[in-house]
Amino acid sequence: MFTDRFASVFGTESFFKKQKRIALKNCGLIDPENINDYIYADGYKALGTVLTKMTPKDVVETVKASGLRGRGGAGFPTGRKWELTAQQESDEKFVVCNADEGDPGAFMDRSVVEGDPHTVIEGMAIGGYAIGSSKGVVYIRAEYPLAIKRLIKAIDDARKENFLGKNILGSNFSFDIEIRYGAGAFVCGEETALIRSIEGLRGMPKSRPPFPAAKGLFGKPTLVNNVETWANISSIIVNGVDWFSSIGIDKSKGTKVFALAGKIVNTGLAEVPMGMTLREIIYDVGGGIPNGKKFKAVQTGGPSGGCLTDKMLDTKIDYESLMQAGSIMGSGGMIVIDEDSCMVNIAKFFLQFTQDESCGKCVPCREGTKRMLEILTRITDGEGKPGDIEKLEELGNVIKKASLCGLGQSAPNPVLSTIKNFREEYEEHVYQKKCRAVVCEKLITYTINDKCIGCSACRRACPVVAITGAPKEAHTIHQELCIKCGKCFRSCKFHAIDKTSEAKEQK
Amino acid sequence: MSSPLAVLEAKKQQAKKNLEEIGYFSDVKIYVGMATCEIAAGSNHVMEVFQNAVKEDKSLKGVYLSQKGCAGRCNLEPTVEIYQKGKDPVKYVKVTAENAKIIIEKHIKKGEVIKEWVGK
Repeated sequence: MFTDRFASVFGTESFFKKQKRIALKNCGLIDPENINDYIYADGYKALGTVLTKMTPKDVVETVKASGLRGRGGAGFPTGRKWELTAQQESDEKFVVCNADEGDPGAFMDRSVVEGDPHTVIEGMAIGGYAIGSSKGVVYIRAEYPLAIKRLIKAIDDARKENFLGKNILGSNFSFDIEIRYGAGAFVCGEETALIRSIEGLRGMPKSRPPFPAAKGLFGKPTLVNNVETWANISSIIVNGVDWFSSIGIDKSKGTKVFALAGKIVNTGLAEVPMGMTLREIIYDVGGGIPNGKKFKAVQTGGPSGGCLTDKMLDTKIDYESLMQAGSIMGSGGMIVIDEDSCMVNIAKFFLQFTQDESCGKCVPCREGTKRMLEILTRITDGEGKPGDIEKLEELGNVIKKASLCGLGQSAPNPVLSTIKNFREEYEEHVYQKKCRAVVCEKLITYTINDKCIGCSACRRACPVVAITGAPKEAHTIHQELCIKCGKCFRSCKFHAIDKTSEAKEQK
Repeated sequence: MSSPLAVLEAKKQQAKKNLEEIGYFSDVKIYVGMATCEIAAGSNHVMEVFQNAVKEDKSLKGVYLSQKGCAGRCNLEPTVEIYQKGKDPVKYVKVTAENAKIIIEKHIKKGEVIKEWVGK
C-alpha cells in the first residue's frame, strides 16, 4: 500500500514490493525543506479535518480505535496514553516528541525528520488538540544536525502558514513547538529521563507512577510519543480507523519501520506490515545473506533486544510474538548475523554499549553490567572459568528484575538470549578456548602452511619477531611469542597463513 | 468564517501556484537524495554537478531540480531519480559526480537511459 506517487516511483523494486508505507510515505519523494511540496501532497489535511470536523474526544477515540501502539519500543497503546493525558485536569499540558534515537543501527527517526519533518509537526499538533495542550517540545539528539536544521525550517514555515501558532487555520486552537537538544545519552530515550533532561536536570529515570500522563514535564500532564508514532497520526485521521486497523494483525496494527543492517544484501530502511515473518523481511525484502554465507541469527530491538536463531525465522513481527520468541520489537533495529560472527563477541558489543550508557542510578544496572562485561571480556580473551556462564545468567536475571527503567531491565537481554540459543558457543569459549567463528583474537592460532614461498613479508610485518625462516624457505610462527595481532595474515599474498581456532587441551 | 479545511484548501491552491513558479510541474525533474546518509555517501557532490548544470547549461532550461529525503536504500546511495513526463521514473543508484555528468549528457539531453546504473 503506497501513495500513488510512491508506487509510481518505487513500486517496481523488489525491495519495496512487500512494504507498506505509512510513517515513511513521503520519505524519498518530497523536498523536506519545501512546505509547499508537503501541502500539495495532502499535507496538513489531517489537521484541517480534525479542527473542522472532530472534537478532541473524537480524535482520542479514533487513535484508540486504530490500535496504534508506541513505535519507540515498548508498544504501549497510543490511544490509551492520549486518553489518560486528555482526562487530566490542568492549566497546562505538554506534548513531547521523543527523537532521541540512540539504538546502535537504528535510524528511522532521523530518516523521518530529515525526509518529512512536517508529518511529525502535524501529528504533534493533532495530539495537542486531542489532549488540550498548546505547547509541544521535540527532544532531538544534537548528533543529528541536518535533522535539526530541517526541523527548525519546517517549524518556521509551519508558523508562517499558520499550521502552528495562534488560532491555527482560523480555529480556536493554538499550538506551538519548541526544540530541545539531547546530548546523546542513551538513557534519555526513556521518557522520565527525557523529561528531566528537558527540564535542565541530569537525565536519569524516575520511578513510575506517577506516569508522565499525570505528572510529566514541569509536573504537568505530558504526552510523550516517539517520532515514528507521531508520523502515523495524520494517515490514521485522513484514511480512517478501518483502513489502519486492516493493516497488521490482532494486537499489532499498522506497520513498523525496521533498519536492516549487518550481513544482509539490501541494507536499508523498510516499513513492513505487522505480522510479516522474520524470514520474509530478511529474505524477500532484505534479499538474504550476501556472499553465499549461512544465516546464523538476527538481533532485533538493538541493545535491549535478543538474538533469534534460524529456528525462529517464521516468527511473526509483532510485539507479542517477538516477546514470546525471547526478543523485543524495540525501536526497530534489525541486525542480521551470519556464520562469520561470534555470538559471544556480539553479546559483548551490546553489553559494552549499555554498560557505557547506564546512568548509574540503580546499583544492579551500574555494577551488574560492569561485572557482566568483565566476565564476557574474560571469556573472549580465553580466560573463561567454569561457572562463568551460570554467573552471567544469574547477574542478568537480577539486573532485569532490580532495575528501575527499561535500560537496565533490558540490558542483559543480548547476553541472556545468546546464552539461551548459542550456549554451546559460550561453552567452547570457556572450556575449549575455541571460537568457532574465528573472531575472538586471543583464541586464534596463526600457522604457516605449505603454500609459503619464503617471501619474508610476514617476518617483516611481525612486530614481536615471532616468525623465523630463511629467504625462499618456508617460514615458521613461534606460537609462544605470537601476540595474535594478525599482521602476518594480512601481509601474506599467497594464502600461506592459516587462521584457525581449535579446541585446546585443558591443563 | 471559513472552516479550517477551507483555509487549508486555499493554502493548497497557493502551494500549487508556488510550486508552479519554481518549475515543479516541469516535464523533466531531477531528485537527488540529500539525507545525512546520502550526503555521507557523496550525494552533495552529485547535487553540485546537477545544480551547476541546471544553472549554466541553456539546454537544461526549465528542468526542475530538487533534494529529497532517503527512501531507505542505504547500500545503493547516493540515489538520483529522473522523472520525464510520459515515461517511468528512472532511478540511478551509487551515483558519483562523474556519473552525474554522464547522466546529464546521455539521459537528460539525449534520452538514453544508462541501464547498468539503474537500481532494481
